[in-house]
Amino acid sequence: MTAALIVLSLLAALLALALVHHRRQLGRLRRWAAQPRMSDPPEAPGDWGEAFDLLHRHRRANLKRRRQLAQLIVRSRRAAQALPYGVTVLDAELRLDWCNDSARQHFDLHPERDRGAPIVNFVRHPDFVAYLAAREFSEPLRLQVSGSSPRTLALQLVAFDEDAWLLLSQDITGAERIEAMRRDFVANVSHELRTPLTVLSGFLDTIQDLKLEPQRVRDYVNLMAPQAARMRRLIDDLLVLSALEHAPPPPEERIALGPLLERLRSETEQLSNGRHRIALAIEGEHDLRGAENELASAFLNLASNAVRYTPAGGEIRFAWRATGAGGEFTVEDTGIGIEAEHLPRLTERFYRVDRGRSRDTGGTGLGLAIVKHALARHQAVLEIASTPGKGSVFRVRFPAARLLPATQKVPG
Amino acid sequence: MGSTEHTSKQFETDLDTTRTRVLQMGGLVEAQILAAIEAFATGEAKLADQVIENDARVNGYEVAIDGACNHIVVKRQPAASDLRLIMAIAKIVTDIERIGDEAKKVARMSKRLHEHGPQHAQRFSAIRHTAQIAVKMLRQALDAFARLDAASAAGVLKEDSEIDHEFRGAVRQLVTYMMEDPRTISPALDILWVAKAIERMGDHSKNIAEQVIYIVRGTDVRHTSFADIEREMGAQ
Repeated sequence: MTAALIVLSLLAALLALALVHHRRQLGRLRRWAAQPRMSDPPEAPGDWGEAFDLLHRHRRANLKRRRQLAQLIVRSRRAAQALPYGVTVLDAELRLDWCNDSARQHFDLHPERDRGAPIVNFVRHPDFVAYLAAREFSEPLRLQVSGSSPRTLALQLVAFDEDAWLLLSQDITGAERIEAMRRDFVANVSHELRTPLTVLSGFLDTIQDLKLEPQRVRDYVNLMAPQAARMRRLIDDLLVLSALEHAPPPPEERIALGPLLERLRSETEQLSNGRHRIALAIEGEHDLRGAENELASAFLNLASNAVRYTPAGGEIRFAWRATGAGGEFTVEDTGIGIEAEHLPRLTERFYRVDRGRSRDTGGTGLGLAIVKHALARHQAVLEIASTPGKGSVFRVRFPAARLLPATQKVPG
Repeated sequence: MGSTEHTSKQFETDLDTTRTRVLQMGGLVEAQILAAIEAFATGEAKLADQVIENDARVNGYEVAIDGACNHIVVKRQPAASDLRLIMAIAKIVTDIERIGDEAKKVARMSKRLHEHGPQHAQRFSAIRHTAQIAVKMLRQALDAFARLDAASAAGVLKEDSEIDHEFRGAVRQLVTYMMEDPRTISPALDILWVAKAIERMGDHSKNIAEQVIYIVRGTDVRHTSFADIEREMGAQ
């Protein structure tokens, strides 16, 4: 009886102990489960320990997945941010949700402040409003925006979810400008070739249709020859320009400036035919590195312009000045000068200050464009300063990297 | 409770829709100014015709938005601050419509000017610059309205003195041309009208900006009069 009682009370004590143990572990579990993200699950021996270990493993896996997901979100945002396109996320009602930096610049948006507002509140151009209203997004929309800086954008709306849209925007200002330049160039070339051709075919028709005296025919042929020459000059210049554009980098010849400029002076004297005073000054002992024929013809081009636009009795001064910081070739004249508004466009192909005059003097409208190209191939820049009625200065600046210390004293 | 919540939500939606329409109307007028100035500078008659034709769309917007405002007032009977917003919208729409009229005027004048033959481009450069400021002012005023941003609206008020300054400069320049060569008097007077139209655009944009300040400050500081707000903004 007593033995049974002892066993029983022992059992009861054991049970009570087990109960206390389990309640304690349960309490720990409950405390941990209230904030499972803050810490690892508790540790314990036995069955509880196994269960806790399982939870522990779950938690680890979970944390890892969360980190991966968070990274994925950050990475996709970063990817969208890094795109060279503007990316704007819109909701089903085309209200702003998010946009990257490019889009912010394209549309002058404030992503945080403008969130939730209709995109048309900020992109108000009627063409864009019509594009959205038409609900036809297969073709991109070309839009000129006049935000903080005017630009042309290509826009496209793409549905990317049940209830969201992506507005892709691309700045095509530069591409449009190049396209316009190409169009203008083709139109200009055609026009420049057609003018002499019209004259030529006019004379040909006359000669063919009318019975003319041989003397008259000769007169006409004499009038036709300069037109043909003009066409040839134009085509030659076009070929030079195209060759410069597609040629490999210029050869690295050593160019002694002294002899080159001497030649330039005598050629200019021939062109001037005694109508101008021509001076040449050389300072500093440096040679140039580059293609001699290209630079010589670029300099001659500038010189012949000076002759062409300087009235008789004027003065043309050439100067070469080289220091460790770079080289500088200038052509200064006392000619008619150029109005300031023309200066920035002077090196454009076929740009003419005065159409009639430059053609009368035999210009093709490509001279300075060729000069600019030839110089650019030598990393040199052309700067033009001019005062109408007083004269002009054409300055060619070579970087120090293009200079070579002269090997021998240049004979003056 | 549920029904008033629903009503107020519907009211919000109505207001937002109206605001977006005002902004779209503004966008259209912005494009109209740019096209009119382009027509003025290049003499493209087709572009000028397009501006004149499009003015009907601007007027259409005005009528529609006015109708919507009346509808909201009658149906929702908005309280003080909301009523102020509606009133301000009605005024802003009038100003935008006037700017549209000025753009049309510029387009008409350009056609007349270029009928006399080609014009010297440098005479337009000052006008073009003034027009750019006018477009910028309108855009800034509309942006301020879209964001209900009083600080940015106050910036527009400052720009207006710049446009007045540019206008006086353009007038002086035109007077010089007229004195140099009396034959230029007739085209110079036409150009003067264009300059005046652009200057008026600036005034209207300023009005829009003032309304935006009125909306923002008026809702924040309920019992301050408009004159006080103006004084307050002016003091900044």
